[in-house]
Formats: sequence, structure tokens, C-alpha cells
Amino acid sequence: MYAIECKNLTHYYGKKLVYENLSFNVEEGKILGLLGKNGTGKSTTINILNGFLQPFSGECLIYGQNTQTLSPETKRRIGFLIEGHIQYSFMNIHQIEKFYSGFYPDWNSAPYWELMSKLKVTPKQKISTMSCGQRSQVALGLILAQDPDLLILDDFSMGLDPGYRRLFIDYMREYAKAEHKTVFVTSHIIQDMERLIDDVMIMDYNKILAQQPVEQFMNTFRQFNITLTSPEQEVDLDGIAVNIEKVKDKIEFYTYSTEDEVKNYLASKGIDYSSFEERKMSLEDAFIGLTRKY
Amino acid sequence: MLKSILYKEWIKIRLVVWITLGLGLLALINIFLKVRHDILFVDAANYWYSFLFRGYTYFSVLKFLPFVIGLAVAIAQYFPETVNKRIKLTFHLPVSENGILIKMHAFGAVMLLALFLVLLGLFTAGSAIFFPSNIIRASLLTMMPWFQGGMATYFLVALILLEPMWIFRGLYAVLAAGFVTFFFTGASIGAFSPVLLPLALITLVLSCVVLFSGYRFRKGEM
Repeated sequence: MYAIECKNLTHYYGKKLVYENLSFNVEEGKILGLLGKNGTGKSTTINILNGFLQPFSGECLIYGQNTQTLSPETKRRIGFLIEGHIQYSFMNIHQIEKFYSGFYPDWNSAPYWELMSKLKVTPKQKISTMSCGQRSQVALGLILAQDPDLLILDDFSMGLDPGYRRLFIDYMREYAKAEHKTVFVTSHIIQDMERLIDDVMIMDYNKILAQQPVEQFMNTFRQFNITLTSPEQEVDLDGIAVNIEKVKDKIEFYTYSTEDEVKNYLASKGIDYSSFEERKMSLEDAFIGLTRKY
Repeated sequence: MLKSILYKEWIKIRLVVWITLGLGLLALINIFLKVRHDILFVDAANYWYSFLFRGYTYFSVLKFLPFVIGLAVAIAQYFPETVNKRIKLTFHLPVSENGILIKMHAFGAVMLLALFLVLLGLFTAGSAIFFPSNIIRASLLTMMPWFQGGMATYFLVALILLEPMWIFRGLYAVLAAGFVTFFFTGASIGAFSPVLLPLALITLVLSCVVLFSGYRFRKGEM
């Protein structure tokens, strides 16, 4: 059963194509991380999912409903964290809790106040005067109190210091797994994602490069470094590598092939090397390896 | 849910409501102190005469007050929604998008109307001390376009602020400035009486235009 189903999404800004026929699903109970460089369409996708943007063609469904016409009942099942932890900053923590509680019959304020008790804020302090980290805790607390089935978190790490990022991730992961919640999350800080997500979706300009469980991705996507015996040697790795970087006699390349497959390929192409090494990667390394540095 | 919506809107505009009410009261005090002063120096009959036949308006200080109040309430209510596109939070609430916008807008309009009625009521009560009823009636008719202009200002500023594209905001602002000016041209006693009803109808139509900006925002115009 899918919480999110997007089918054949195509969108343009003016004449600029963002993506064409993009399709993906998010299974219920999974935490999916959407990764991509700036301008690849992450925010566009989030805006379509939240009904704030009508795609040129195609559709996204959340719990079977088109996101352009979500009913109040379905919206009640979705928790939405806006990029930068935007909230009604003219309110204080008591006012905002009182405001939101009126919209959700199953509102549970206990986790909200638990988080608020950790913040060093005065009861009448407006959210606008809080630090970014404190605001992130307010936004997170409100989502936990809402207790939605699906959480859409747009660049949750923006502006947070490492301590608040870790707090946010650990809280979110524990909550989502314990309560069987579905999470759709984007972040610029990929090292955070590694601790949080089950599945990864990596977007590049106009297309999806990978969508699979993060463990599977990390086990199948590899980085190899070789040193050529002669720097002048012509090297053709197009048959196996998704990204190649060559500096003099050193070649760094990324592939879905195994070590044996790579060695066989190098032999078949007559590529002579003096050293061969498989480099262990973090998710961030793998992301850069797949999408290139620029 | 309605209680929550009204609670949030009240938090946004309450300071502006009290400040503009205070401003209105000061303007009324100023008017009636001046009227009392003038009647002491010129007898009442002559003072009424200058009002009825020479076009003297003792309440002209009120002329742009409704405009200022309408502008201030609209900015206090809608500007915080546009900062960082915070209106997304509002549209994400589990109610219909148009429904919540209508409720927010109706609350702002009712608060504005209440402010205007309080000021007009106090003006009428103060005027009753110094003037006969026909002068009071003529005064109220003269002021009516100004207060309608205040309502129109509120509706149009809301439309402008919620509009997602700057170019459209500019266009709306130019059109709104031209239209709102019409409510404040001239101050001859009762000169606008024949057009009060059409102006009221136009103002009523303007009360709905904010839905258009909300629709454009939701469709992702930027």
C-alpha cells in the first residue's frame, strides 16, 4: 500500500523543463529521502505534493486522493514542515499550540510540551525571537502533537546546528518507526539522511537517478580508484561507470558493477593499472559520485 | 476550528485595532473640542449656516482615517501570511482553502466594520450635543464614501498582499489606487449621496477578490 503515488509528472517553469514523466511511490511506514542538487526539482515535488503547485501534466496521489484536491480529512493525516521551520512567528508557544489543537480531534499535546520543556524560552516569548534551532523544535513538536500518518519535511536541516540536527533526526526516526509513520523528507545535508531514511530517491536534472532502499544502494553502488601504468593511456569506462574523474594517472570512478566485473571489464579493454582499490563511501560520497560534483 | 481561526486573526490585528481606535477617538475629541470652541466664538446658528450653505465640514479630519484603518488592518492581517509564504501553513490546515480564506477575510471585515461603527456612533453622539438631526444626517452621508473607501482599501490591499507575483501586485496596486481615490474626491455636503448604493455594491464585490489571489497562490503562480 502506498502513501504517495506520483505518476508521469511533467513540469515546466516557463520554457524550462524541470522533469518529464517522473513517477515514484512511497510505501506506507517507510522513510524516504529525496536528494538532489539545487534546481533538480525537489521543492517543485514538495509543492506538488502539498497542492501548492499544479503540474503541467501527471498527478500525485496521497492516500489515493489527488494532491490538487485533498479533502480536509486527508490533510488532517499529513504533517507538513516548511523549509526553514516556518511557523506563525507572531505567536508564542502557548498561543500556537492552542491554535493548532482546534483543528485536530486527536491532538496530543504531551510530546509538544515535552520538547518545549527542553527549550530555554519564556512562556510569552514570540517564535520570531527564537533561534532557528528552537523554532525547529516548535515545528517538530507541533507535528508530533498532530500525530499525522504522513510527514512531509522540506529541508528540515536548514539553519540547524549539528546538535539540533541530531536531536531532530533521532526524535523523528524513533517516532516514525514506533508509530509506523510514513516520512517524505528532503535535506541538503546528506550525512543527516543516512541516520534517518530507509529509502533513497536521487534526482538529477529532468530525471530520477536512483530509487531504492538506502542499504541496497550503498551495497550496490561502488567507488573504485585505479592508478594507470601510463597516464597517456586511453581509458574507456563508459560501459560500466556512471561517473569518471581522471587526474593524470589516477582515475576515480563510480559504478553498480562488482569488483570482479570491473576487473574483467578493465582486462577486456586492455587497461593496465598499477593499483586498484575499492573505496568505502558514505551516502554523501555516493550522492556526489552519482550526480557528479558540478 | 472557527474559534482557532478567529483566535489567530485576532492575535495578528489586535494591536492595530486598539491603536487605530485610539487614533479615531483622538480625532473625534479634536473635532468636538474645535466645534465647541467655534460655537463659543460664533453663535450656533451662524456655525450651522456655514455648514449648510458654505460647505464647511467640521469633521474633515476624519476624511482619510478610514483609509488608514483599512490599510493598517489589511497589512496587519495579511502581511504576516506572505512572509516566507506562511500562507502555505494556513492552506495546509484541514479545512477547505477557500473556506478558511473567507473566514479570515470576514473576520477582518467585521472588525473593520465594528471599528467604523464605533467611530460613527461616537461621532453621531458627539454631534447630537451641538447640531440638529438634519445636519448630523448630512454629515454622515458626506462621510459614508470615506468609510466605504476604508472597506474597499482593506479588500484591495488583501488582494495585493496575497497575490504571488510582483508584477501583478504592481498592476493591482495601480488599479486599486485609482479606484480608492474615487471614494475620497471632494467633500461637498452630501455630494456623493446618489452613488452611495452603487459604491456599496462595488465594495461588496471587492470583498470576494481575495479568493482570486488565494487561487493563484495554490496553483503555484510565481
